Amino acid sequence: MSRVLAVTLALAGCAWAQDPRQIIIEVQKRQHSDSQRYEGTLEVIGGGNKVATKSWIFQRMGSFGNSKSVLRFTAPADVKGVALLIVNHPDRASDQWMWTPSIGRDRRIALQDRSTRFFGTDFSFEDLEERDVDQFDFKLLADEGVAWKIESKPRKKSQYAYSYFWIKKDNYTFVKVEAYDSKGLVRVIDYKDYKQSAGIWTAHTTEVFDMRRNSRTILKYGKLEYNLPFKDDEFTLQALRRGL
Amino acid sequence: MMHAAALAAMLLAQDFSQRGFVENRTLVYPQTAPNDSGHVVNETLLRWDASYQPKPWLTFSGSFDARTDSHRQVARTWDVDVNGQNILRPAFSIRRMSATLHRGKFTAEVGRQFIRWGKTDILNPTDRFAPKDYLSSVVDTDFLGVTAARVTYEAGADTIDMVWQPIFTPSRTPLLNQRWTSLPPQAAGIALLDQGARYPGGSQQGVRWNHVARGYEYSLSFFDGFQNLPSFDATLASSLPPQVALLRTYPRLRLYGGDFAVPLSWFTVKSEAAYLTSSTPGAEEYALYVVQVERLVREWSFMGGYAGSVTTRDPASPLQFAPDRGIARSFVGRAGLTIDANRSLAIETAIRAAGSFVRFEYSQATGKHWRTTAGIAWIRGDMQDFLGQYNRNSYASLAIRYSF
Repeated sequence: MSRVLAVTLALAGCAWAQDPRQIIIEVQKRQHSDSQRYEGTLEVIGGGNKVATKSWIFQRMGSFGNSKSVLRFTAPADVKGVALLIVNHPDRASDQWMWTPSIGRDRRIALQDRSTRFFGTDFSFEDLEERDVDQFDFKLLADEGVAWKIESKPRKKSQYAYSYFWIKKDNYTFVKVEAYDSKGLVRVIDYKDYKQSAGIWTAHTTEVFDMRRNSRTILKYGKLEYNLPFKDDEFTLQALRRGL
Repeated sequence: MMHAAALAAMLLAQDFSQRGFVENRTLVYPQTAPNDSGHVVNETLLRWDASYQPKPWLTFSGSFDARTDSHRQVARTWDVDVNGQNILRPAFSIRRMSATLHRGKFTAEVGRQFIRWGKTDILNPTDRFAPKDYLSSVVDTDFLGVTAARVTYEAGADTIDMVWQPIFTPSRTPLLNQRWTSLPPQAAGIALLDQGARYPGGSQQGVRWNHVARGYEYSLSFFDGFQNLPSFDATLASSLPPQVALLRTYPRLRLYGGDFAVPLSWFTVKSEAAYLTSSTPGAEEYALYVVQVERLVREWSFMGGYAGSVTTRDPASPLQFAPDRGIARSFVGRAGLTIDANRSLAIETAIRAAGSFVRFEYSQATGKHWRTTAGIAWIRGDMQDFLGQYNRNSYASLAIRYSF
């Protein structure tokens, strides 16, 4: 999901002439995998430092801008089975459907609804999708020694007016994202605890701060695997319904 | 012993998953009703859902309920219900027990299962394989499973869903001697004898085609079977004292329907409509339709719309339990607020010409397992109105749930 978050985030580049788009493309290239699976544990820390813990299993098939993902809650018990199907497109925003087993219905998440927080976490629905590099304009704002600071502006409709990315020069990984709307800073996302899995540097901890609500969510990765032999029919509406 | 060991091995397997809850719910009614002097109803429900996937293409799913209550709405027998053909809620019931086979574009589910059709939330005119449990409240219901074979073919943007239901499952209606059966003033002094139900023996079948396009979705559906909401056959059992025997019957029903959802710039428009005909003499024929808009904004969800109906053939007898037509001709609105990861608020209202309903609900999770939900429902209106007839049934509720 560092991929997925990274953004909105997934985007890339290389140092050639310090072209920010090339830097983002290089990030994308180095994070490329045919599929990904992990078991995520989320701690949502709200006002008064009250902590709510949730878990999900995330599976992705395909690569940047042309992938499909299924995210299925496994805990707590009262949300177990709730699932989200995300179908990413290279030329436009993703399609998303949420499956709620208690009512036996799936619901399409409309584009204008993507700024909504996802099931009480500090991720919005849009944060969970993956957009292709061609859906953004980039500007290199600063070379901060160990990292580049890049501005990203979406070409298509988004809850964010612009974002700042910090990307480490040595391994082309995201360090931090600040996402702004027209009124100011909305979210800060920190990527920590990088480890290599299948040759891919992956942040095993992602911390999202919702600046308006003074709330944060810490997502920790477990059992991370890449390049598993998933099938197309595991990423359909019927597949959502087949889960518990 | 061998079976126990096999079961234990299955439960420990990675391809086995389960969830469930125990919930105790108390409803407090400040007012009595003419046929119900109770002020407090307490219900306890244990629900356990399990799923076992021995092969990637095969999944077994089960769901079991055990319940009891203080108001004699739950049967006091040890029978395990498997088909839902009962007037009282069974103390023990199999809600779901099915096998799902999946190969390529085909998914087949056989056994007791839940089937939901339609896209709207106010009312689902096309949702005909989804009987409901109205027994303890007409405004707060739960779905019942049906015994059926369902084959789904999903090819890209198109899905075809075919259902054959050989055993009829009715909606569960309020008991005649309790507050959610509202009797007209003319019935005062007449004893009502509940003669149970005459269930239809034939099968039901339906097909639905759903298309998901880039900016919209729509579906067309056809159903041929029976109305799962009863009509009542009344016969005079005795003149002195006056006694009327009531028997539930379920007329034939054929449905032609469709639904669509279109996300616009500011909100999503959803609509669903169906025309329902019947070959049963004296049965009503009508159209039901719903138009609603919805929007999610940050922590808020909003939904509002109108449900309408047009009757093309009046019923021969007015003795029907028809909440789907009752809620029609209503403006309905819902709003929800996710306060944080543990707390939420919801408000729901239905407004008709001569009746209204509003409900507030606050829900809070504590730790990983506990959730408390408190609510107030307020019902006003004239006795001639579908909602108004329940104007003595406003209530406060408190539910405490332990999920596992």
